[in-house]
Amino acid sequence: MRTEKVGIVGVGHTKFGKRADATIRELAHEAVKPALEDAGINIGDIDTSVIGVAADEFAAQLSSGVLIHDYVGMKDKPTFRVEAACATGSAAVRAGWALIKSGLAEVVLVVGAETMTHVGTLRATELMARAQDTRWEYPFGLTFPSSYALMATAHMHKFGTTREQLSLVSVKNHTYGAMNPYAHLQKSITLEEAMKSIMICYPLNLYDCCLISDGAAAIILATEEKARKISDTPIWLIGLGAASDTMMISERESLTELKATRVAAEKAYKMARITPDDVDVATVHDCFTIAEIVAYEDLGFCQKGEGGKFIEEKQSYIGGKVPINTDGGLKSKGHPLGATGVSMTIEITKQLRGEAGKRQLNGAEIGLSHNIGETGQYCFVHVYSR
Amino acid sequence: MKFGYVSWLPETDFMARFVEELEKNKLMGTRCKGCGARYLPPRAHCRCGSVEMEWFEASRKGKILAYTLVTFPPESMSKNSPYIMAVAELEDGLRLLAQLTGVAVKNLKIGMSVRVTSHRTPESRVVYRFETS
Repeated sequence: MRTEKVGIVGVGHTKFGKRADATIRELAHEAVKPALEDAGINIGDIDTSVIGVAADEFAAQLSSGVLIHDYVGMKDKPTFRVEAACATGSAAVRAGWALIKSGLAEVVLVVGAETMTHVGTLRATELMARAQDTRWEYPFGLTFPSSYALMATAHMHKFGTTREQLSLVSVKNHTYGAMNPYAHLQKSITLEEAMKSIMICYPLNLYDCCLISDGAAAIILATEEKARKISDTPIWLIGLGAASDTMMISERESLTELKATRVAAEKAYKMARITPDDVDVATVHDCFTIAEIVAYEDLGFCQKGEGGKFIEEKQSYIGGKVPINTDGGLKSKGHPLGATGVSMTIEITKQLRGEAGKRQLNGAEIGLSHNIGETGQYCFVHVYSR
Repeated sequence: MKFGYVSWLPETDFMARFVEELEKNKLMGTRCKGCGARYLPPRAHCRCGSVEMEWFEASRKGKILAYTLVTFPPESMSKNSPYIMAVAELEDGLRLLAQLTGVAVKNLKIGMSVRVTSHRTPESRVVYRFETS
């Protein structure tokens, strides 16, 4: 195994949103091209690709991995596809890192992509619901909003978390999404708008739920030696942690935490030799506002039960303790399943490089991305440094 | 007899046994003869790797741990919406997810007592559900 570091040398991102102008192959290309330009290399310089696409049902295409791989100009080279539900993109980044560390490749292209909006919201809710246990939980009408709503009522009951605190997460993420030219919904919202939106699954209303989006994101990873040659500003992947949990939500030890986050974060912090206090900027999985509040706690940014207070005190804003989801998060930027994790890595890369535009924070050295698949069935935490 | 409000999974012998008992208002779990782990809903194999499992009758009384009112259902559940989903902890410590009937959301409270009952849907499918006691 290589002992040297793995660096991020190029990033590319499509506009997220309703992209009726493109299918998954064109979207992937739209992300790969700027990633290559950013790195200043050609597609022929890449050894292998890892493609993250979460659901064949959305793409209406099986084996969309090799479809994308061929379309972006990599035929004859090795590739495989990765799936970990909503954490597919981060699983792909992890696989890319492992390919380099193992010595199997020196330069790896990681692409995450999904096309979802063409199926409509009811159908999309249906398809995603099938990612849950199809024998014991899906047949009762459990959806992802309802899974997180169960956590929300449990958290509200145990810790006194309020609906207003949930809405405040949405207000923050829309504040930053409005500054992100790639975000799906580039508009800020008021607390009143957030709180008065229609109820989806009590206590989660429309503005507590992330968007259903189309989009793609691509990064190029390289060995330390290659990274230093390719890029003047490589960003290093210095800690990786992952964990899983029971398929059924009813079997969880606790409904007020995602244990997989705690376990994955612990591993990532240990590998990176840091503590939560060292994190300067983070992207966390805010598929629903309660998920972001729970993530504050499970990642160790605040004590268990104090996530609501953390947002109320604006500790997750730029200028607060840990700026979180400065790209707008899944809530405002959008959540094209396979693309999300790769997009999270891109936001951290941009923040550490100082290329985050209007939402740039000062002097960030250490970043973290946290990506959940389903309701904590999968979790991936990555730690980055300049 | 088909299990669940909606499902397309094949009816295995294992599920047929579970449903047969459920129709008699019995909620069956499985216990590993090797390590003693108990499963509700039941599994045919244990996480420890054992295939030596035995059925046991689980408690049908419990308390609500979490709930939600689903007003925006998946496509396949549209005609059943809105519905309350809940997770309850049963008296034997096992937890179950099901729909909850017999109470308005505004009167729902975490910690409320419920019992698990068998129910036949208008489509002649069989489910278990929580009812407030």
